[in-house]
Amino acid sequence: MKELSLHILDIIQNSIVAKATMINVDISEDIKNNKFSIGIKDNGIGIKKNILNDVLNPFVTTRKTRKVGLGLSLFKATAERCRGKLILNSKENVGTEIYVEMEYNNIDRPPLGSIEDTLISILSGEGNEIDIEYTHNVNGNIFTFDTVEIKKMIDGVEITSPEIILWLKDYIKENIRELY
Amino acid sequence: MKITQIIENLNLELLSGDKGMEREIKGVYSGDLLSVVMANAKEQQVWLTVQTHINVVAIAALIDIAAIIVVENMDVEEETIKKSNALGIPILKTNKTSYEIAVELYKLGID
Repeated sequence: MKELSLHILDIIQNSIVAKATMINVDISEDIKNNKFSIGIKDNGIGIKKNILNDVLNPFVTTRKTRKVGLGLSLFKATAERCRGKLILNSKENVGTEIYVEMEYNNIDRPPLGSIEDTLISILSGEGNEIDIEYTHNVNGNIFTFDTVEIKKMIDGVEITSPEIILWLKDYIKENIRELY
Repeated sequence: MKITQIIENLNLELLSGDKGMEREIKGVYSGDLLSVVMANAKEQQVWLTVQTHINVVAIAALIDIAAIIVVENMDVEEETIKKSNALGIPILKTNKTSYEIAVELYKLGID
């Protein structure tokens, strides 16, 4: 994919299909150690042990409509192309955790892309059903964002309502910009 | 035009998937960003790419690509070769660039 945020969107959509209600997204840009990492953790139904080793194979999918499943395979290939790795852990009825690491300065590493668009597109559709905790660390500058806190703050107003969504989008965008 | 004919005319090396050699091809797609290829390539096209990961075969199977031409002499992983043989999707190899191969295919009358 053209941007890492599209991979993140894809993985979060997997989490939603897996009935997750809490999704943690951690992004770390560590220029000193030349490391760009992304962690995504959910409390969904998890992946059955007997297929866990197979889900990174593009020819294995639980999808009935087509014979290949590419989300995780593409993300893994992107990571490996940037001299990194993708690690997948999952436990049935507990959740799934994906960790991706890449060389920060690798020329094949896609740019992060628009995190605010990614988070907003998830929250505007599913914001009432799920929560997202987002942490973004750029060389020690940290921005965190937690929809559990936001929902308390807006007290009764739905997080999916247009005015909240618009405000959130600017809020995330501004705060990420200040990290650099 | 059949894949056997382009192999002969363009002097390509057949790496795998020879079960699919008699397929008729309809057009050419060139691209290396797999998500974009997945969205835009069409069935029966020949696909020119530098990518060699097994995901390439998965996308070719998904779209029903006629053959994959690996350009610029890229080495192809064993896993990719195996899957191409299993599915009968030919992988052809050349040291030329995508552009050079595209031009030659065009000259053969494929547009």
